[in-house]
Amino acid sequence: MNGAVTAAAADTVLSASGVTRRFAYRTVLAGVSLSLRRGEVLLLVGPNGAGKTTLLRVLAGLLRPAKGHVERRGAIGMVAHDAMLYPALTARENLRFFARLHGIADRERVAAALEHVGLSRRADDRVGTFSRGMLQRVAIARALIHEPDLLLFDEPLSGLDAAASRTLVELLAGFRERGTAMIIVSHEMERLGRVATHMARLAAGRLGPVESLAGRDPAAVFAELMREDA
Amino acid sequence: MGPTLRAAWHIALKDVAIEWRTKTAFASGLVFAVLVLAVLFFSRDPTTVSSTDIAPGALWVTFTFAAMLGLNRAFLIEREQRALDGILLTPTPPVAIFWGKFAANLAFVGTIEAISLPLFVLFYDVPIWVRFGELVLVIAMATIAFVAVGTLLSAMAVRTRYAELMLPLLLLPFLVPPLVGGVQLTARLLEGRPLSDLSGWLKLIAGFDVAFVTLAALLFQVVLDE
Repeated sequence: MNGAVTAAAADTVLSASGVTRRFAYRTVLAGVSLSLRRGEVLLLVGPNGAGKTTLLRVLAGLLRPAKGHVERRGAIGMVAHDAMLYPALTARENLRFFARLHGIADRERVAAALEHVGLSRRADDRVGTFSRGMLQRVAIARALIHEPDLLLFDEPLSGLDAAASRTLVELLAGFRERGTAMIIVSHEMERLGRVATHMARLAAGRLGPVESLAGRDPAAVFAELMREDA
Repeated sequence: MGPTLRAAWHIALKDVAIEWRTKTAFASGLVFAVLVLAVLFFSRDPTTVSSTDIAPGALWVTFTFAAMLGLNRAFLIEREQRALDGILLTPTPPVAIFWGKFAANLAFVGTIEAISLPLFVLFYDVPIWVRFGELVLVIAMATIAFVAVGTLLSAMAVRTRYAELMLPLLLLPFLVPPLVGGVQLTARLLEGRPLSDLSGWLKLIAGFDVAFVTLAALLFQVVLDE
């Protein structure tokens, strides 16, 4: 990551170099470079409007950078502010649709994904009738159903109650153990700090140094990084 | 079935399922079709204008504007909750999204047309059965042309703030050639003339079918790239 976390190319799931993105005349990302290896989890923090969501969208391939390039290896899963679901379809139909587009025809996988996020009992209800938290859980199931190599999360705990947050954190820890790389935009240090292996701060479109969390208290690193915003 | 066709099939099925469940575009398209057929019928002076004179124009105006309601809806359902991003995160090639949307739009417009046609006969009392097969062929050919370009332009218009207003503005200029062809052919067929006499118009619509479908499929990737 940013030179600090470099490793064998074979292990690298994501690498971005000099990524710049503008909206009209406003530069939202200014030369962001990072790389992520299997099993690494980067917690991305920063003030509102820093460009965190834009960076995730560029890394996912949903936005094209004006300059620089992004290289991804393997399948991607993403949970963003919008659930990326169809309100008129049920949770099961939504997941089955996205699973099929990933080439997964297995109905059991859909049922298992719904169970993982605790929605088996509401599987056949339209997602348009779901609360924000339930929508978020279906979105998480959608992002995980194809067991991606890279997961991108934009505030994944928003709208989730304590039990659902705990389940998600356990789920993410499991994915990390299996080697899934993740970038998580969140300020929920208490919960997500346990999953993260690295932390970095994005401010005014510039990515600061990537801090390793090995043997360090995530809350202390977070406080240190955010001090610059004060 | 290859992966592209399979993905297109799933996208088309999903769109049909959503429309079947919500009936948003279908209901408004059908009400619109009935209204236009009725208004145009009752607006003419029966002593000076025969119903067969205005029937071809009425038929195509009805089809075009009713279809536009469905074409608008095609990508609005993707904008809600940014579901299109979810598709773009899968390995689905953009051309599969185009074919899926195109097939679902054809199914929608075809259904509206199939229901409007008997109403058209009811109002205008025109002899469509004399050349029914040929008429269906002409309707199908003109529909393919405008649904192809409509699918492309609705993907473009949905990214603008006033998508519902933008689509007609963008689409109507492209519809002029196939629509004029459709009206001309319908008028001749209702007069009982065989299709073999009308090969010029038929070739024109066929040309637009090939051009619009090919260009729309090729340009779809560009439209999806922001």
